[in-house]
Amino acid sequence: MSFYFAIVGTKDNPLYEAEFGTSKQGGDGVARFREEQRPMNQFIVHSSLDIIEEVQWASSTMYMKCVDRFNNLFVSCFLTAGNIKFLLLHDTKADDAIRQFFTDVYELYAKTLMNPFYEIDMKVTSIVFDSRVRGAAKKYL
Amino acid sequence: MQRQDPLQSPFVPFSPNPSLQQGTPTATAPLKHSLTASQSSNLRYSSSRKSIYDRHLNRTQRSELSKSSFAFLFGEMVQYAQKRVSGIQDLEKKSATPSFVPTHVSPAGPRHLKSLSEAIHSLTPRRLNLHGYTIGQRLLELLLWRDGRSAKRETRILGILQFITTTLYRSIFNKPADALEKSRDNEDEYMLIDNDPMVSSYISIPKEMSQLNCAAFVAGIIEAVLDGCLFPSRVTAHSVPTEQFPGKTVFLIKFDESVLEREAVL
Amino acid sequence: MGILAIMVLNKAGGLIYQRDFNEGLKKLSSNDYLVLAGTFHGVHAITSRVSPVPGSGGLEIMESEHFRMQCFQTLTGTKFLIFAQPHQPNIDVIVKRVYELYADYVMKNPFYQIEMPIRCEAFDRNLLAYIQPRQ
Repeated sequence: MSFYFAIVGTKDNPLYEAEFGTSKQGGDGVARFREEQRPMNQFIVHSSLDIIEEVQWASSTMYMKCVDRFNNLFVSCFLTAGNIKFLLLHDTKADDAIRQFFTDVYELYAKTLMNPFYEIDMKVTSIVFDSRVRGAAKKYL
Repeated sequence: MQRQDPLQSPFVPFSPNPSLQQGTPTATAPLKHSLTASQSSNLRYSSSRKSIYDRHLNRTQRSELSKSSFAFLFGEMVQYAQKRVSGIQDLEKKSATPSFVPTHVSPAGPRHLKSLSEAIHSLTPRRLNLHGYTIGQRLLELLLWRDGRSAKRETRILGILQFITTTLYRSIFNKPADALEKSRDNEDEYMLIDNDPMVSSYISIPKEMSQLNCAAFVAGIIEAVLDGCLFPSRVTAHSVPTEQFPGKTVFLIKFDESVLEREAVL
Repeated sequence: MGILAIMVLNKAGGLIYQRDFNEGLKKLSSNDYLVLAGTFHGVHAITSRVSPVPGSGGLEIMESEHFRMQCFQTLTGTKFLIFAQPHQPNIDVIVKRVYELYADYVMKNPFYQIEMPIRCEAFDRNLLAYIQPRQ
């Protein structure tokens, strides 16, 4: 079970990307996408942005569960107040775990924003952020 | 303020204040496994090895700030915004770009000097607005995070205006704004009234600059919150002194047409 | 309160604020007020040297049958002169409050240039609101 996580900014530009595998049930936490699958991940996630655009006006919640499907992969989305999208590409449904993961990442993103040198739509390059995201993934996914 | 042309559909991704963002999104290569390991560490750790990720976001939720300290800092910000233009060349360069066109800068002749001071004063509310803009972007995310699991994004005009009037105002000034009105003349204008904006409570504007209102700073915060929630708008601060409240300020919120179209569809 | 007038002098002895609170006062020309302020500044400096007690400050109180003048000098050299009725109590409290108003509405005003004449509408308004009800 592998996951591809991306944070997309307001101009549809990627701010952060990461791949994980599951750590539960004996998984070792390393993503196992097929080699030709990996570039497709970005495209799949990008194409789901259109759907998110339409759905976001219908619901006022932040966590939108599964917005899109592609073959056997699901795309889940968490939309923040400032229109930043957290997208997770996964092949198994695990709504609650994913919601907790998103909540953790939301907190990390809010802390990143508090940095006065970080502006909206800038790439997130902090190593601490990266390690915390991976820690959250290990905890929940 | 120059904006990118929106497409016809009301559901177009909108980017907040273009003057803050630089560059367009660039293509990224597919992710490599060793991405993070190969980046050299440019992080300078403090001696206690703590980063901003260790601070709790609710730590300063209840703390208060001395009004005098803020007043001194804000006074310096106003002076900085006034003195930013370094000379006539700089002003002309600024006025050549369409996003900063003060209406009374003339291209030639001895009228230059008089129009320079007028132009400086007409740019000051814009700069104060920009100062408040970045604060508003951060405040929006922080306030909604503090709601926790029950956080909701606002999708309607009235919802976001209520959020600004109560939650946002209360978090900054510890009191809600005094009134929220809808303009009768224009569909897209709303007015938020504050009888005594705390940021300019010690400031007296001299007569020759009577159109400047230092609450443009708060207008910038409001504009950022609206832009972040995808309600593109312009927010300006106007002073309407009354007998009882000499500092009464009206924030005029003018939404773009795309917002009205979307509101009609919903 | 029988406050008659308030004057504020800057560090160099120049008059930066003058206001009458009682209609019956004789009005001097603005030049006269400037001369008065400069004279007082000089007298204040001389009295601080001439005083037989070592280490004393300058002239603080001047009383006559018709008025009482009190001077408060701040740590930065700004002087606040209060002219009041002869038996006006609590002038100290009034002086402190005027100093507080000065620190708020004049010093926190970004459009005010230090040591220049005070043209802050908020300062005028609040000063009047403080003095007027007690006349």
